[in-house]
Formats: sequence, structure tokens, C-alpha cells
Amino acid sequence: MKFQIEDVTVCFPYDHIYPEQYSYMVELKRALDAKGHCLLEMPTGTGKTIALLSLITSYTLSKPQGAIKLIYCTRTVHEMEKTLAELKLLHNYQVKHLGPAAKILAIGLSSRKNLCVNPNVLEANNRDSVDAACRKRTASWVRALSAENPNVETCEFFENYERTASGAVLPPGVYTLQDLRAFGKEKGWCPYFLARHMVQLANVVVYSYQYLLDPKVAGIISKEMQKESVVVFDEAHNIDNVCIEALSVSVRRQTLDGASRNISRIEQEINRFKATDANRLRDEYKRLVNGLALSGNLPGSDSWLSNPALPDDILREAVPGNIRRAEHFLHVLRRLLQYLTVRLDTEDVEKESPISFVASINNQAGIDQKTLKFCYDRLHSLMLTLEITDTDDFLHVQTICDFATLVGTYSRGFSIIIEPFDERMPHIPDPVLQLSCHDASLAIKPVFDRFQSVVITSGTLSPIDLYPRLLNFHPVVSRSFKMSLTRDCICPMVLTRGSDQLPVSTKFDMRSDPGVVRNYGKLLVEMVSIVPDGIVCFFVSYSYMDGIINTWNESGLLKDVLVVGYVSSFHLVFLMILLFQEIMQHKLVFIETQDVVETTLALDNYRRACDCGRGAVFFSVARGKVAEGIDFDRHYGRLVIMFGIPFQYTLSKILLARLEYLRDTFQIKEGDFLTFDALRQAAQCVGRVIRSKADYGMMIFADKRYSRHDKRSKLPGWILSHLRDAHLNLSTDMALHIAREFLRKMAQPYDKTGSSGKKTLLSQEDLEKMDGSGLQERLY
Amino acid sequence: MASGQVSKRVKFKSSVKDPGTPGRLFLTLERLMFKPNSPNSATKLNMEFRFVKNHKYTKEGSNKAPMLNLTSSQGVSYIFEFESYDDLHVCKECVGKALSKTGETPKPIDTSEVPSEQPSTEELLLRMNMLRENGELQKLHMRFVSDGILTEAEFWATRKKLLGGNFSKKSKQRTGLKSFVLSDTKPSTDGRTNKVTFTLTPEIVREVFAEKPAVHQAYLNLVPRKMSERDFWSKYCRAEYLHHAKNANAGAAAAAEAAEDEELALFLKPDDILASETRRKIRCVDPTLDMEADEGDDYTHLPDHGIVRDGSKEITESQHEHYRRTLSQELNRHAAVVLQGTPIDEEQLKDTQTVAEALKLSKQGENASNEETDMNTNQDRLSRISKMIEIDDLQASSDLPLAPLSIKDPRDYFDSQQATALKNSRDTSIGNDPVKRILSTEESYASLRDSISHVKTTGLINPIITPEAAVKVLSVLTHNISSTKYDIGKNHGLSFLDTLPNTSKEELLYHWTSLQELLRHYWSSYPITTAYLYTKVSRLKDAMSKIDSQLQELKESVQSDLRHQVTLLVRPMQQAIEAAMQHHDAELQKRSARSGERSNGYT
Repeated sequence: MKFQIEDVTVCFPYDHIYPEQYSYMVELKRALDAKGHCLLEMPTGTGKTIALLSLITSYTLSKPQGAIKLIYCTRTVHEMEKTLAELKLLHNYQVKHLGPAAKILAIGLSSRKNLCVNPNVLEANNRDSVDAACRKRTASWVRALSAENPNVETCEFFENYERTASGAVLPPGVYTLQDLRAFGKEKGWCPYFLARHMVQLANVVVYSYQYLLDPKVAGIISKEMQKESVVVFDEAHNIDNVCIEALSVSVRRQTLDGASRNISRIEQEINRFKATDANRLRDEYKRLVNGLALSGNLPGSDSWLSNPALPDDILREAVPGNIRRAEHFLHVLRRLLQYLTVRLDTEDVEKESPISFVASINNQAGIDQKTLKFCYDRLHSLMLTLEITDTDDFLHVQTICDFATLVGTYSRGFSIIIEPFDERMPHIPDPVLQLSCHDASLAIKPVFDRFQSVVITSGTLSPIDLYPRLLNFHPVVSRSFKMSLTRDCICPMVLTRGSDQLPVSTKFDMRSDPGVVRNYGKLLVEMVSIVPDGIVCFFVSYSYMDGIINTWNESGLLKDVLVVGYVSSFHLVFLMILLFQEIMQHKLVFIETQDVVETTLALDNYRRACDCGRGAVFFSVARGKVAEGIDFDRHYGRLVIMFGIPFQYTLSKILLARLEYLRDTFQIKEGDFLTFDALRQAAQCVGRVIRSKADYGMMIFADKRYSRHDKRSKLPGWILSHLRDAHLNLSTDMALHIAREFLRKMAQPYDKTGSSGKKTLLSQEDLEKMDGSGLQERLY
Repeated sequence: MASGQVSKRVKFKSSVKDPGTPGRLFLTLERLMFKPNSPNSATKLNMEFRFVKNHKYTKEGSNKAPMLNLTSSQGVSYIFEFESYDDLHVCKECVGKALSKTGETPKPIDTSEVPSEQPSTEELLLRMNMLRENGELQKLHMRFVSDGILTEAEFWATRKKLLGGNFSKKSKQRTGLKSFVLSDTKPSTDGRTNKVTFTLTPEIVREVFAEKPAVHQAYLNLVPRKMSERDFWSKYCRAEYLHHAKNANAGAAAAAEAAEDEELALFLKPDDILASETRRKIRCVDPTLDMEADEGDDYTHLPDHGIVRDGSKEITESQHEHYRRTLSQELNRHAAVVLQGTPIDEEQLKDTQTVAEALKLSKQGENASNEETDMNTNQDRLSRISKMIEIDDLQASSDLPLAPLSIKDPRDYFDSQQATALKNSRDTSIGNDPVKRILSTEESYASLRDSISHVKTTGLINPIITPEAAVKVLSVLTHNISSTKYDIGKNHGLSFLDTLPNTSKEELLYHWTSLQELLRHYWSSYPITTAYLYTKVSRLKDAMSKIDSQLQELKESVQSDLRHQVTLLVRPMQQAIEAAMQHHDAELQKRSARSGERSNGYT
């Protein structure tokens, strides 16, 4: 369908549109017109992504004079694929209805690991080895060497790509990673470098958050994006965490040992060069005197992870004299390592500000702040000079230099925390020195400054006024949309008691109570027998999930042991009989583990089990990888059970330091932030069941604490508005009854366009009939 | 010939020019059947002679091939080409005899029902076949169509999928595996010694081999040349026992044992075959959930970057990671195998050796076809993603391909439902589950007590109880416990339904299937848009209320001790009827209110 929003003709690839999608587009357009940033919350399952993509592409088409580039950031690669698939759908529709003028170039960009097509490089099993294997074949000096010596291996895909030079372009279209690989294979060009080159020319670029937020990556990939770009952060409810993680580094014993090995190797290399090619080091020295002119004129294949500090904070001046000579620099690094080793060797937890830490480095190791700041660039330059290609072996020394540069650059918003062991395992010494960033606004600031419009959107951004404070920006539009439902297709419930009417909770003192564990198990057993297709369970942590699964599984073993002892306790034990086997009788069980490969396969199988009608249960962890970005829509998730409230580990020193910082700078209370953070995770977990208004799903919050107003009220509005008072304090049997009724109701046919007064589905005529303002009134 | 059966090699053609399908023609006095030589050919024929109206054949001596042409009462002709004229003659005679015979018998088919749209002959034939093959369906058909509650067309409309082309394929659907873990062989101890016993059946062995390819491989390599079957499995069980030993340093113990025993290490080590299979599978995983790719793109979490210790990451303490195998991994693997199904049929489940060989063969086949399927799955995947991406209610729906649900016996479904109902009742009162078993437990317990009191009165003699008696008591106790847990739902043979008298059981099931049929029709006719639907709904409503009253009668007619259970079984049915009635009434009210409104508006 095609319709007007003010002066823009929007081309939308469906016959109908939800009213909230329409208003979302209206608000978004306002922000684009004002060339400002915006913050939009719209429930999942209302087609945010497609609304956003259609508006922005249509907006660009209607303004041919100033072409706007869309930079779409997703948190994960699989979300990137999903976005590109939606974009493909849209693009096909637009080309069909608007003709070839609507053709655009859209690409997804990922690391070498996901884009490389060279089988020899791909043999390496992790990302860093793939990167290094690529560099070994494509670095400029390697290629120069291979011109003389045919035995030196190069990458034919890269050579072909280089030979074609500017002729290597992608024709317009939408390219997923798979498409890029296929195209690269067909043409014999390296897809990775092709994609990196095309990023500058594409109309739409889809990539991961880090490519903009993490200065190490953004420095190479995104430094040349034009100002007239719209940057979208989708599913941005965790954006503050991404920002602080991008600027945090930690140092362990292994890091120090590795770094000192690295330094010895560098020393050997230096000696070798001194013997064979002393000029090279002298040249480098001269270059450093003139200032770091590294950036810009390096061939793409030589570039390496960039400076960990933000671009505005990097000094554009000459490297301090004391580290210009390679040997001197190594000496400084050695002293730094020694200092860090001493500091790590502590009995107590220490917390320090960067300023005092730098001061003590200066006192005890004689390294001043400016020297620290240049560590990373100096190392980078040295490694290039030494022509080191196996960068994956040098990660440790790189970490140390990252740390030094960050600690030398930032004096506020960070703290240094040294812990001798993990709180949860005090008997195992594992000292860590962490430089942790508390201020999320630091990493995102350059993005807000550089681009004219930044859109932050997600299904859960409540309370919506908190994000501008956390990220320190001023949105021109900040709106939270409700969901207009044709029928009550979501059914949230708060379960406070088990089948024996005793309270359930994952509160610290209750979580390992066998009664609670059993009640949780009974709840699941009952639910698997009545809910069709897929069920997803979220637990508060891996360890809790493992514990519960083991208990459920072994309650049978326990029984065997008991019988020999006391015959009379037979009946008691009977209750505990193999909860797990009972679950398995109805559905297959799949579990998220810490191994991503295994989890991915488990998910794939889970979907297959739901597809073929067998039905399955997926056990997952809140804050885990699955909760972060996998949809459990339609038959993939008819019920989500959230066992407990996913609070952060409150004894963590880093968390405490961050809370303190938030309190001092933003006047956000610790308790409020913790609840906010836990509830946004919970909402995120359960919010993935709905994909459209035709879909339906239930959500069970199984913890007595959810019934308290201060906790519950932090849930996003679209869940709260469906949470009836009668569903606030349920026991297992009541929940079971409600679930049966709900499922029966949902199975009835209904009128999709919404009958009673309010339209929940608009056709083209509907939109034409009413002008924008009329619609707004109808909705709110 | 004597029995009236004739079978000949023929080619079956739908027209004279058709090259034909080679196969065999079977003729009896009542019917003719054609079976193609290649089993996956769709052309099959099985019809009764009473539908054959006419037959023609080529004359001997003419240049044409020997052919027989049968014309059915609907005017469709079936042509068979024979290998020789002799064959043709034999069949000609047989057909002639059969035709003259059927001419005398009265036609049992009721020609009075005229469906609203005339279905094609093939479809009619198919319907007839289905009714014949499926007694359940025939009963339903009799009950509803003959009584005029449903028309012929309505009855078949809901079964279009069955009548569709893939009906013939249905029987080829592989039987699935049961979901629960068989090989989770909990060791049973006899209570006297430290001896631990594991029980293995061919079914369990199949599961073990399928889930742990390394064990399978080891079995093929070692047994029987290097070690005996018995040794192999005791080694295996030892390894399992080590894995399950629930102490803190299970990993360490396993590592230590593995270092000493080369063969044992085979079972304790991570499965290499599995790992390579995983690597292959991860490459064709759906990219919209590929979290592995995600890890490859994550530069924030370079080693030692990002936040390490804020409590969100987990910690593992053992340095013997290599030997640790978690329950989660096992469960995932198990579920994957169940989902994949097994190529081994029940007949092959004789002994370990055959199971191992059969699995090996099937695997080889799989590997060969993997190459091509990889390409195909790629395509499938892409089209599936694009379908998944669409928002369904914004668009006129595109019909997704459905795999027909094939429930071998609808009663199984009923059974499982009633198992749930019974389970609920069990929660309230534990004792009444399998009545007989509890009794025997109590008996043995009582006898144990008897002997204890006997000891008390007579004093301690040596031995206190005869060891045989003690063992008997314990083994009965333990046996009952480990078997009751599997009774829940698994053992349909012992379900409550079977304790009912046969007639009431049949009646119950019959009501259940008919109610399902009615409800299906009922709900599918909403929203009521035409007068036709309106009358249909009221017809259905009447029929349902009839069933409701019949159920009530049934409930009252059973013996009092069974009544509670029967009530439990009947309740979901009655609830369903009630819901339908309520919906009907509400709809009626709405309708009348609306029409009232409209008339107000007009006046």
C-alpha cells in the first residue's frame, strides 16, 4: 500500500497497517525533519522494524537532493539477518511498485569470520585466528614478498578484488551475509573487503552496535560515514550496558604472563630487524617524531583494531620522546607489567579512581600519564613496522596497552577495581584488575555528535525518561506507543504460590528450598500438558538453571536411596517422582548452555520440534544470549515462564561502583536502578512471544515479589495494561485454569480488523479517509 | 484360478497413448487391483467390479497390443496392456464372470444423496476406499451423513487434505521415537552389596548408539574381536556411572580412570564424531538464530575486554573440563536424536549387533545424501525465512504447507488426555493410581512387618529372616517403585479405560470421536455469514445436545465404583459442549440485538 505522511509518500509492503505503526512513522518523520535524535518505545509484535525501514527508505526517495544514508545497528548477527530479510521484502515491493528508481544498495557487514570465503582461512576455528590468518595472506608486506617469492601464500579472492580495484562494486540490491558470500564466490572477490568498501557507498548499512559504539572497531569501519545519516539502534533497551562494556578492560594473571611473552617476542623481532634492516626502525622513529600519521593512509588489509579511546580524546600530537625508540617502549611496557603484577597480588578488594591509579604508576613505575595514553598507538605502530601478522598471538599485550591508554585518557566515569577472587568462589584465587566504565554516555557521545539523527527504539524503554539521562542526550521526540489489540491476545499472570499454596520465589534465602524447586517443577509439568507447541522458560542464572534441572532429574535417584532407608516415607517421595520424565512425556526438552554452538543447534532443533507439531520446552537464562535476541513468536512460544526476578548479582563490586556513580551523577537510587534493570530484562524475556496481532501467548511471572507494586509497576505499559487485578496473586491450579480458558478463547475465529469501535488494522482507504490528525485522536 | 484370483503382469494406462505404468493386475470375483512395480509410483488402483460398467478388448490377430479396457460407471476408462494374448484371455474370462455376478447383486450405495458440487470420480473412489479402510471413519460417516446432520460434501470438506495427493504417502511416515530418556539407566542397587546393576534392552542400545556415535563406533571396532559384548557394556556402564557420580570432582575421577584404561577413555572422552557432525550442522543452521556468527562479530568481548566479573558470567571450577559432560548437553542431544527419528524399525530391534549394523548402514546412506541435501536445505531455509519475516495479519494469508497430522489411532490421544485427568486426581489422593500395584506393595510391606513381629515374639534366631525372603521383599518394593514411575502415560495397556467394561469403553470412545467431528464442524462455521451456515449450526447444536444427554446416561449407567473416573473422563467433553452452547447463545443474543438496532435505525 502507498500513503502520504505530510510530504512523503510511504511505500509499505503490506495491504494493511496497524494504527500504531502509522503513528510511529509520523513521529519518526518529525524527528527526521527536525534533524534531531529520538527515542521511541513500541511493544514487540507491532512491526517496528518494517515501519522504520519503510519510512526511512521512502523519506530518502522523496528527497532526492540530499540522499540520506541509513545506518541500522542491531545487537547481534542473527538480528542483522532478520532485518535484512525484512528489508529485502520491502525492497522487492518498492521496486515492483515504484520502478527501478527505488533501487537501493543495502548490505550487512560483519567480521571476517562470517564473511570470508577462503577455505584455508576458514579452517581457523575462532574469530581472532581467522583475522590473523587473513592478515597473513593480505598484509601489504606479505603481498610484496610474494611478488618475489611464489611460495608465499596469498589469498586469491583478495588478489582478484585488488586487481579489479574500483571496478569491484556490488550492483544495487539487498545483500545478507549469505548473499555477500555467494556473490564473492561467484566473482572471485573477497566479500569482506568488498563489503567494507561498499559501506561507504551503500544506502543502507546494517551492522552490529559495536561498529559504531566500540572505538576499537568504529575507528576502522565507521570513521568515514557522512553526517547526513540516520543511525538506528534497534532493541536498544540494553544500550547503556553495551556502551560501558565497550570501554572496559580487565587484566588477569594470564594476561600479564601472555603480555610478557609477547614482549619477549617483540624484542627478538627488533633484534632481528636491527641485524638485517636497521633502517626500518630508524624510519619509524622519524615518523613518530612528526606525529602519528598512521590513520588514513594504511591499506585496508593492514588495519588492525583501532585505538580503544574515543576519537575526540585521542591526541593528535607527537609521541612522547621516551617511547619513540622501540627498545625504550618495551622497557616502559615491562615496568608497567611489573607494576600491575604487584598490584594484582593483593589480599583485599581495592577500589581506586583512575587519577590516583595513574599517580601511583607515576610514582612507582615512573610512567607518566601522557606516556600511558600513547601506549596503544605506539604498539600499533611498532607491530606494523615489525610486520607482525599473527596478531591473534599478541592479544595479551594489546589488552595491556588498551588498558594503559584508557586509564591515561579518562579521569572521570571510570574506576579501577582489584579483586583477589570471585565472591562466589572465595577458595579459588583468581585476581582480576578491572578498569570499568560507569558512564554510558561516554561511548555514545561521538555518535550523537556526528550524525544528524539517532533513533533509539525498542519494545521496552520504560521508564522512557531514564534513557536520556543515562545516555546524556536531548531527544526531539520521545514517545511510548501503546498496542491496540483486536482481542486480548496476551495474557500476563503473576504466580505467587505453588500447588501447595506455599509462596514461590528466587529470593536468595528461598531459591534452594526444595519446596520452591518442586513447586516450580509442578508448574511446568502442568503447563506442558495443556499448552500446545512451544514453551519457553527463563531462569535467573545458569547456575540456578543447572541446579534446578539436576534436582528435577535426580529426584528419582533420591527416591531409590530413601526407600532402602525408610519404607514409610514412601508416599512423600512419591510426590517427587521424576518431574523431568513427566515433562518429557509431553514435550522435548532443549536447554541453553554456555556453549554457543550447542545452544544454536538446540534452538534450531527446538524450532523444528515446534514446526513438526511435536512441541518442545526451551530452558533459557535471562540476560543470556537467547534472551537477548531470539524471538519465540507464534507456535515457537505460546507460553513464557519467568522463574524469579532476574536481578543482577548485587554483591558484585563493579555493579556497586556503577550504582554509586549513578547515584552521585544522576541522582538515581540504587534500588530503583536495580529493579528497573531486573524488570526490563524480565519484560524483554517475556516480550518475545508476540509477533503480530494475530499471534497470541501467555506470560507467567513466577515469583511472589512480582505482586508487589513497586516491582510490577516497572514493567512496560503494554504488559501492565493486560495484567488484570485478578491475575496478580495466583497459585498453580488457578493459573492452569486461566491458561485453559485463554487457549480456548484464542482458538476461536475473530474479526481481524477489530470490530468494537476501534480499528486495529487500517487499509489504504482508511488512511486516505482520515487525515493524520484525525487518526491521532482516534488512537489516544 | 480355483480361488478365483488371477494375477498378471500388465502396464496400466489412463489412455491409449499413455506409455503406461508397469505393475501387476490382481483380479478376484469382487474387485480388481493394480499394484505398480515401483513402490513410489502414485498410480494404484483398487476398485470393485460393481463400479465397472463395460469392458472392451483388442482382438487377437490385429496389429495392436493385447489390451483390456474397463469403463467405470462414471465413464472413466482403465486400460491394461498385457504381455501376451494368453494373459488377456484369462483376464477377459475372469472379468466377464465378475461383471455378470455383480449385475445380480443389488447396489448397496445410496444414490439419493446428491452433494452440492459433484466431486470427480477419482475423489469418490478415494472416499470409498477411505471409508473401507478406516472403520472409525465409516462409523462417523454412517452416524452423521446418514442421519442428515452433515451433508456428504460437508463431511468430506474437512478431510480434503486426506483426499489430496499425498494421502498415499501417509503410511510412509516414519514412526517417531518416544520422548523420554530410556538410556538414562539409573543403576539399581540390591541393597545388600555394593553391586550396581544396569539393565540394557535393544531399545536402550539403539538410543545409546544414536546419541553417542563414538560408542557406536567403538562397538563396531571392538566387539567381538577385541572384547566380548558383555565386557564392552560393563565398561560403558562404568563410564556412565563415573559421569553420574554426583561428587564435586567427578571430572577429576573420570580423568584419572581414563588415564589408566584406554578403552574406558573412549567412553569418557568427548565425542569426536559428534563434534564433527556439529560442525557440519552449524553451517546449515538458520541464520536468523545463528548465535555462533554473533560471537564472531563481537569485538567488545576480546579476551579480557568488556566487564568480566559483574556476576553475570558464570564460573566453572574444574580444570578437568575435558571430561565434564553436563546433563544439559545430554538432554539436548537426546532431544535432537528423538526429533531426527530413527531409521531402525521395530523388527530390527533384536540384539545389539543388528542394531549396530543397521545404524551403520543408515548412516552411510545419510552421508551420501548429505551433500545434495545441504544445497536443498539452504534453499528451503531462505524461503522459510522470508515467510517467517512477513507479518501475517497485515497480508492476505498465504497457505503454508502443512504436514498432515497422522494419528495412528485417535484413541491414543484420548488416552493421554485421560491420563492427565487421572494424574490430577492422583495429586489429591496419592494412593489410587495403579490400584493393584499399591496393594502388592502393602502386602509385601505387611509381610515384612509380620516377620518383624514374629522375630519380636520368638526372639532373635540366626538368621533373623531368611535372606531369600528379605531379598524378595526388597526387590518387590524397589521394582514397584521404579516401574510405577514409568506407568504414567507410558503404559497405555494398564490405563483406566481398560478397566471399564468393553461396551462402555467403546461407547465412550465413540462419543468422543463423534463429538470431535461435530465440534470441528461447529467452530468452523463461525462467524455465521449465510443462512446456510445458520441452519448447519443449529443442526449441529441439536446433535451435540443429543450426545450430551447420552453422555449423561452413560455416566449414570456405570457401576458406582467406576463413576468417579468416568466423570473425570466425560467432563472435558461436556465442558466442550457447554462452551459451544454458550457461544451459540451469546452469538444469538448479539445477533438479535444487532438486528433490533438496525430496525430502530430504519424506522
